[in-house]
Order: sequence, then C-alpha cells, then structure tokens
Amino acid sequence: MRFLKTHRFLPLLTALSLFFSNAHAQAETPRQIIAKAVLLEDKSDDQVALLKTLDASTEVASLLTLWKEGGIFLFEKPDQSKVAIILESEKDAADKQKALLLETGLPILDGEGKPLHLLASDLTAAETDSTLRETMKAVLDLSGLSSPDRKARLQAVETLAMEQDFSRIPLLQKGLQKETDPSVQHAFREAIALAQLKEDSSETKISACRILGTMGSIRSRDILQSLSKDSDGPVQRAALEALQKIALHLQKVNTFGTLFRGLSLGSVLLVAALGLAVTFGLMGVINMAHGEMIAVGAYTTYVVQCVFGAGLQVSPFGIALNLPGIKATGWFYDCYFILAIPLSFLTAAFAGILLERTVIRFLYRRPLESLLATWGVSLVVQQLFRLTFGANNVQVSSPSWLSGSWTLSDVSFGWNRVFVITFAAAIVIGVFQLLGRTPLGLLIRAVMQNRSMAACMGVRTQRVNMFTFGLGSGLAGLAGAFLSQIGNVGPSLGQSYIVDAFMTVVVGGVGSLFGTILSAVGIGMTDQVLQQVLGNPVLGKILVLAAIILFLQWKPAGLFVTRSRSLES
Amino acid sequence: MKQRPFLLSAEGVNKSFDGFKAIRDLNFHLEDGELRTVIGPNGAGKTTFLDLITGRTQPDSGRIEFEGLHNLGTLSEHAIYRLGIGRKFQTPTVYADHTVFENLVLSLSGSRGVFAALFFKLKSEQKDRIHEILETINLSTHAQRKAGTLAHGQKQWLEIGMLLAQEAKLLLIDEPAAGMTDEETARTGELLLSLAGKHTIMVIEHDMVFVRQISKGRKVSVLHQGSLLCEGPVDQVQSDERVIEVYLGRKHAR
Amino acid sequence: MNSNNRRELTAICILAAVMLGVMPALNAWIPEGQWLHVSNFTINVWGKYLAYGILAISVDLLWGFTGLLSLGQALFFSLGGYMLGMHLMLMIGKLGQYKSELPDFMVFLGHTFLPSFWQPFRSLAFAALMVVLVPAVIGKLFGYLAFRSRIKGVYFSILTQALTYGASLMFFRNDMLMGGNNGFTDFKTILGADIRSPGTQRALYIVTGLTLIAIYLGCRWLTRTKFGLIQRAIRDSETRVLFSGYAAANYKLFVFVVSAVIAAIGGALYVPQVGIINPSEMTPDKSLEAVVWVAVGGRGTLAGPVLGAVVVNALKSWATRAIPDLWLILLGGLFLLIVLFLPGGLVSLPNKLRELRSRLGKKSPDTTPTAVPNASAS
Repeated sequence: MRFLKTHRFLPLLTALSLFFSNAHAQAETPRQIIAKAVLLEDKSDDQVALLKTLDASTEVASLLTLWKEGGIFLFEKPDQSKVAIILESEKDAADKQKALLLETGLPILDGEGKPLHLLASDLTAAETDSTLRETMKAVLDLSGLSSPDRKARLQAVETLAMEQDFSRIPLLQKGLQKETDPSVQHAFREAIALAQLKEDSSETKISACRILGTMGSIRSRDILQSLSKDSDGPVQRAALEALQKIALHLQKVNTFGTLFRGLSLGSVLLVAALGLAVTFGLMGVINMAHGEMIAVGAYTTYVVQCVFGAGLQVSPFGIALNLPGIKATGWFYDCYFILAIPLSFLTAAFAGILLERTVIRFLYRRPLESLLATWGVSLVVQQLFRLTFGANNVQVSSPSWLSGSWTLSDVSFGWNRVFVITFAAAIVIGVFQLLGRTPLGLLIRAVMQNRSMAACMGVRTQRVNMFTFGLGSGLAGLAGAFLSQIGNVGPSLGQSYIVDAFMTVVVGGVGSLFGTILSAVGIGMTDQVLQQVLGNPVLGKILVLAAIILFLQWKPAGLFVTRSRSLES
Repeated sequence: MKQRPFLLSAEGVNKSFDGFKAIRDLNFHLEDGELRTVIGPNGAGKTTFLDLITGRTQPDSGRIEFEGLHNLGTLSEHAIYRLGIGRKFQTPTVYADHTVFENLVLSLSGSRGVFAALFFKLKSEQKDRIHEILETINLSTHAQRKAGTLAHGQKQWLEIGMLLAQEAKLLLIDEPAAGMTDEETARTGELLLSLAGKHTIMVIEHDMVFVRQISKGRKVSVLHQGSLLCEGPVDQVQSDERVIEVYLGRKHAR
Repeated sequence: MNSNNRRELTAICILAAVMLGVMPALNAWIPEGQWLHVSNFTINVWGKYLAYGILAISVDLLWGFTGLLSLGQALFFSLGGYMLGMHLMLMIGKLGQYKSELPDFMVFLGHTFLPSFWQPFRSLAFAALMVVLVPAVIGKLFGYLAFRSRIKGVYFSILTQALTYGASLMFFRNDMLMGGNNGFTDFKTILGADIRSPGTQRALYIVTGLTLIAIYLGCRWLTRTKFGLIQRAIRDSETRVLFSGYAAANYKLFVFVVSAVIAAIGGALYVPQVGIINPSEMTPDKSLEAVVWVAVGGRGTLAGPVLGAVVVNALKSWATRAIPDLWLILLGGLFLLIVLFLPGGLVSLPNKLRELRSRLGKKSPDTTPTAVPNASAS
C-alpha cells in the first residue's frame, strides 16, 4: 500500500471503485461509509464504529491511507453543506486540482457544469486522531488479507499471526476459505493455530500445538517455548512435542539451505576455475593473471552498466575519458546485464590473446617462469584498474530480475544464486560442446595432447594456442560478469578467487574438465558444511585448505589422472 | 648343472594402462652373472617391464623378486636402487649441469642419507675408482666437462659408468645403441661384454647387429604383447617361426 | 677455481668491512650535517634491506638450487617476526596505552590474564628458540606431506601459496590472540635498551649484517657439499636422482626446513627494525615479491638474491615516494622483462655483456652456452 502516497493513482481507483461497487449494490459502498465517517469530524467514537463495519479491500485501504496522509478534504458547498472531496493529482497552471466527490468518485461541477478546480492549500483536510488511526491501521492490516497481490496477502497474514489475537480467528478462517495460493493458505493455517494458542481451552491449545508441529512452523518456536514454560500437563507435553518436530524441520531446512549454498558456491568456484582448467589444465600455463581476467569481466560489466545509466568519467594517467550514458530506466536498464555477458567474455578473451601473444608464447614448457611472468602482469593490471577506476570498489547493481528469491518449505532460494548455478551449468555444457563437437575443439584437443605432432600434421599450433588461451580468459571474463552480481568489484577482485580456483583445478586433476566440475562442487559443499558446523567462515576456509592438502596425500594427481608415459611429466 | 638361485624372477606379472594391457602374465627369470638380451617389437612391453622392476610403476598382479628375497612391487625407486639394481634409460639421462666427474661422484655406492651427503668427503680410493671407471667408459679426458655438453654416445657411456660406480648387482640397460654411430655401437658392445660376468646385465635392444655382437652363445628373450614369446640362444631364436613372424619377419619383409 | 674462491671471499670481507664497520662508524661518530655523516634513517633502511637479503637467500636455496618455487617463504619470515614480536610485546610492559601488563590488543579484546602460550615469551632466549623451532616444525610437517606425495613443480608452488593464504587468514583472526588485523607494534625495549634509539638500531643493523654473512657462508658451504650436488641434481632431473638411490623427498624436506629457518631468522631481525609485524606480511604476494628479488639478482647464485633484495627494495623506496602510482607497474614490468630476457638476473649481466662484446668485436662463434639453471625440468 505504500506506493499510494500520492494522488497519482486516483483515476485508476475510481475505475476500480465502479467495479467493486457492483458487488455491494444493496449495501452502502465503502466510499459512502468513509465519506460519512469523514463528515462526522470530531465524533471519533462514531467514526471508529463506522470504520469497523468496513470490509477490507484495496479500495478501502487506499482511501484510508489517503485520509491518514491528509489527502481527503472537507468542502463547503454553496448551500453551506459539507462534503468530503479528494483532488486529482494533475495540477493546472494556477496549481489548482480537479475536485472529486469522495462518495462517488465523480467530479464536482460548478455552476456552468464544468469540473470544479480547487487549490489544496485553500481547503481543510479531514483530521484524524490516534484512536482513529489505530482503527485505520487494523482495517488496513486486514485489508491486506484480500489484496490481489500474493505478497501483500502473505505479509498481512504474517502480521496478524504475530498478534495472536483469537478474536481474528473467524476472519482468518474466512480468508483461508477464499485463498487459493498454497503458501498463503499455509500462512493462514499457521496464523489460526498461533491465535488458538491464546484461547482458554486446553484442547484447542493442544490441537494448535499439533498443527504447528506438523507444519514445522519455525515462526512459532519462541511462542511455543514460552508456552511450554508457562503451562503444565498435556499442554506442555504437546508444546514440547511440537518444538521437537519444529527442531527436526529446522534441521532439514538448514541442511537443504547449506546444500543449496554449497552448490552455488561450487558454481562460483567452477566458473572461476573453468577458464583456468582450460589454460592451466589443457595448456599447462600457470596464469597468475587469471584473477585479473576475472576482474576484466567484472569491470566490463560495470562499464556497460554505466553506459546504460549516467555514463562514466575516468582519467587514467590524467587522460580524461568520457563515456556518455544513454540514461535508460526500468526494464531497459535491467537489460544492461544481458549485453554485459557477451561483452565481458569478448573483452577478457581479447586481453587474454594479447597476453598470450606478448608474454606467454615465449614461456610454453617453462611453467614456473610463466607463473612468475604472469604474476608480474597481474601486478601491472591491478594497478591499471586502480588508476582507471579508483582503488575503491565500484557499484554494480543487480538487475531487478536477479534480486528476489523463492521460498520453498522455509528454504529460501535467492534468484542470483539460482542464476549462478544455471549459468555455470550452461557454461559447462557450452565448453563441452565447443571442445567435443566443433572443429576448433578438435584442433584444441589435438594440440594440447601433442603439440609437435599436431604441428607436423599441418595444424597451425600458434593460432590454436592463441584461441585456447583466449577461450580460457574469456571464461574468466564470464566469471567476472557474474561475480559482479554477488560480490564486490574492485581492483583486487581476482586475488580473492585465484587461490581457490587453482585449488579447484589441482584437486580435480589437471587436464580433466570433468574433475574440475566435481572438485568445484565438492569444495563448495565442504566449505558450506564446515561453515554450518563450525559457525565460522574463516575457520571453515582454513579447514578446507587443510583438507585439500590431505586429499592430495591420498590422490596426488587429483581426482582424475590424465596418464602419460613420458618421463618428466 | 648346479641349481643357482635366480637373481631376478618375475611370475604372473600383469600391468595395464587405461585398459591397455602392457604386460600380461609375464614370467621371466634371470640368473646371477648372466648377460641377457631382451628383444621384441615396439609395444612389446620392454620398457614397462623395466619400469616395473625399478619401481616406477607397480604391477597390478604378480610378483617380481630380487635375490629371492625382496618383492620389488612394494618398494620405492630409491629403495630398489639400494638393493643393487641400476638402470640406464633409453634416452640418456645424466645430470646435464654437473661435470662428468660429479655425475660419477653422485653415483658412487655408499650411504644415501642426507647427513652423510652433508659431511661427505671423497676418499682417495673412491677417486681412484672414478678414474678407473672414466678409463673404462673412455671419458678420462672429459672429467671436468659439463655432462650436458657431451656427445650423445658419450652420455650413454657416462650413464653406464654411473651404474658401474654404483656397483650395481643388476644392470638394466635400455637400448644402449639407440642414436649411436656404428663405431660407438661397437664400442658400447665391447664395454658391455667386458662387464659380463662381473655384473648381471639385462639389455633391451632393437639393433640386431648389436644383439648378435653381445649375445653370442648367450640366452636371448623375446617379448611380444607383454609376455614372453620364447627364449634361447640367439641363433635358435632367430630361426624360431613365431619370432620371425612377430618381429624378425617384419624386418625381413622390409 | 681457487682464485675465484679467494676473490669471492675477499669481496665479502671488503663489503662487510664497509657496510658493518665504516657505515655504522660514520653514523655514530660523524655529527649530523657533515658531508660524511650516515643518517639513522640510512642505517635503518639498510638494516631492512639486509633482513630482506636473508629472506631472498632462503627463497633461492629452494628455487635456484633445488627447483622448488615456494610461495610460503613470507609465511616463515612472518612467523619468525611474530615469535620475536611476542617477546617485544611483553617487554612493553606497562608502557602501553592501557598501562597494563597485558599487550594492548588483549586488553582491548577484554582479556584479563596472559594466555599460557604467551608466558614463556618473556624470555628472549625462549623467543629466539621459537623463531627457529616453530617454522622448522611447520616446514617439516608441510614438507613431509607435500614431498611424500611427490607434489612438485607448479603444484608445489600452488600448495605453498594455499598454505600461506590459509595461515594469513588465521592470523587475521582476533581469537588467534596474535593481534589480529593490526598485529604487533609499538615496541619499546629490547634487552632493556630503547628499541628506537640510534644506538640500538645500529646494533640491530650490525647483527643483521653479521647474520647475513653467516648465512651466506653457511649456504655457500652447503651448496658445495655432495648435498649441494644432489640438490642441483634434483632441480635438473628428479627422476634420475631417485634412480641413483637418493630419497629425493628427504633432501627436499631438509632444504625446505633449512630455508624456513633462514627465512624466519630474517623475519626476526626485520621486525625490531621496522617496529611492526602484521598478517599482511604473510600473503602469497609477499612471497612472490621475494621471488622477484631473487630473479632480478640472479637465481642459482648466493650473491644474486642479496643483490636483488637490495636493488629492488632501494628502487621501491625511491619509486613509492617519487612515482607512487606507477610503482607496481614498474615492479611487474621489471619482473616480466627479467623473466623473459635475463633469466640469469643481474649477476649474469657482466657475462652477457662480455659475450655480446666479443661477438660484436671478433664475431667468433665460440661462445660456450651460459649455464642458466633450468628449473623447468620438473
């Protein structure tokens, strides 16, 4: 209801009111009741009584809100009688607004039959006192129950549930009968049971306890706990039983929540490590600047966002660069991310190819040197980020379609996490298709298995190296694009993922993409489970590192060994 | 004939890589003091067999015993080495950045412990031994050269010299003639013959001229598809139908 | 060979005399403002460089001589620093901000008594023992696990990186009781002397220099024994070493532990001179920075790392003041160029130049290939 702060929606309301008034053809319409109440002015007891007769509806809610906020005025007609009026939002040149009669929602006509325009500041607003406002709030709360918006209904039921007012039970039951949405139905039942706990009859209490227990109602845990303390006999037993059931349910919820978070962390690791699995695993190049490739992707996302928004001014080395923005809003602005995904891939791939051509191609077969040289590159690139975008994190806002969540049986699934998982799966499938089904993939695999043999057979290995490295870096860029949705984007973004990414590849078995997938999910899960068990993220992380070292004792070459017969491999 | 214990015996050994059976049900026996040549076409499992003996890989099943005492399948490379088994690799593997002399010092028999290495002092008899070996392998004039700068054949000899310094009971020599000139090959043959009797030697070779040179009157074993095809004097083996078919036959057909 | 030896030892003696005799003397006895005066600042900065030199030698002993690129040396360096730091923290006594017997950060965290593992650090001897022992034990444990499972080459680097990363996460935590984020600082006294007085700093500088020389000579001896031969053999062909009957893992473990201890000694000397130690010294990046020093100076030699540590850090001191924004770019770029074009580092420069001159002058093809240690064999 919060969005009805201005009068902008009034025309819509008028239309709605016409629609609703049919349903109440015989009785007085809510508009009439409210208009009557407004005119009672000082007699607040009568006003309260009148308002209490109102059935909750959207129309009522919006009108009451309007009243509370001083949007209903008293207008003295030429015949000295008072009427309640409201003003349309549109203002004319003299700041005047068209006046509508509250009772009917129709314009008031002046002597010449034209709509009357009035100045808000000339009018007296209908006042409210505290008792009246309380009643209004109660009505408003209830009105949420019949809101067409599922979320609003859910919220209203949940507010009522916490009030535990058993006089509301009939109302709640009525709502439950009309309700069609299962999750709201669930909330209704929960609210009813909670209210029943306040009834005198112990049988009702016991049955309510049973219901809450079966539901695994986490919300009612505190209430049941105090009930178990304050009561005795069968009621206490019922409450304790219910608590036990709830604890079990809570455990289940936590387990699933942990698994889900583990899966999503695994996906993050996977996407960060997949590019590395290509450059390190297939090509044997230790790219310490891989993290910076991730950051390239993330900053690309940021730049695209700025271009969709207000533009971007940066001045690396004192050279002022000015990117104009297209100032998009709403859904169009949200689309920036769709464009950012391919762009971040391309930018990072381009950066990767540049790196390959200028540095790495001199260092094939010298893995330790490539580690050192790329670390040098990583320092340079990080500093370039700092000089260009500043040392602080930049703001990347998630598109609205990524910032909600589903709740299924008390387990909440954030859309961004679901997106991460889906995205990771899509990338994995894409990479497998690329490597397994395309001519380029065939070339890549051939060169990675035996470079000189492939060269002998006429494969342009230089080019394949370039593209493979570009692919690995591009994947890192993709990782950056979506890491920007779940974490901070800053110059050292890559640093926070590089160790984890290397670990993932090593544990999975270098050269095995499938191993990388398994190890990413495995490490993600282990991390989340340890966090859950230890209740401490840092300790969890340290234990994961220790676990990895021990794991490598058991399988020194990782999960999947790519065996070779050469001596010094 | 007196029954002597086998120095090396392999019984029922199997080894596969990713489903490829490199060694299947191999039985092989080597007597003390023998100079045995093992031949076989590519992929017969010769090098894998050496890997199994020296502990680079472990057999999937079967037993390889040394001196009837030690099960080599359970020991690590350096432990097997310490039993007195030395190996010369197919491609010469010497310490390229060390001098020829240092290569031999590293191979000298004696304690392999860390602290022994810290307080090691070259004794005069050890020095003499090294010079003796240098003489044998014809590298006396190159003692202070970096091994990496030696010619291919010289590296092969150095590697054999390293086995001598080790005083190995069993020398495993993988394709000593590969990549050598004819003259070098002949000298390598002489070198091996001069060692026969003092050491037990197992030579793996392709080059039939070289094989005939070193195995005159001696036993030759033929490996094929991971198992022993036949064994006997070189002339007998060369006339064996099966051998001709799988190995020599191909050579003749060329 | 022998003349080379003598030349090297003479050079060390001269350098030692200048650095540890003349410089402190000029600092102590020539009054400020005079042309020959060496400032306290210079002494302090050089003390820091020399401590870094010790760290660099430890990196090179592993990387240059054994082919093990360890990214864990910063961890051992910091551990040494932390161990001595614990003693220095206790020596602050009631001079701290909270006027408590406890170190300030403990008071701040609400502790009322000194944890038992801090107690013995009141003794400098104990702290010195721990400087050696703690890194040795951790190095031994980690090295045992890593080498036993034949983790080598880049895998070893990645694993040591993870070790360092994990340790720094641990030290960042407050409940580790090692000062958390801020680490240890505000030291007051060492052996009863004011730690910031020029005299103490001068003494610390001389001790650092002497330690560096001792470590240099020790490593020089080590690398020339048969052990040194085996070490380099492991670097060039580990498999061959195994087939020569040496348990390479034991040798690597020994070198790893020795390097850990050397790095820790460097750290212990570093901390009283800079007056602070915190977990940011422990990151894999710091290890890599030390690797840069070695690469710049010349790996596989002993003079190279020390030279590299001094040159790069002097450059850093200048650049972070003159061109702060560009320093990291300079460092990264320098490193990149060295790796690509001068794998032998600065110490190989004279040889390279001579080679170049002879090639230009005589056009003689007789240039022996320079023996650049090749760590990529593993």
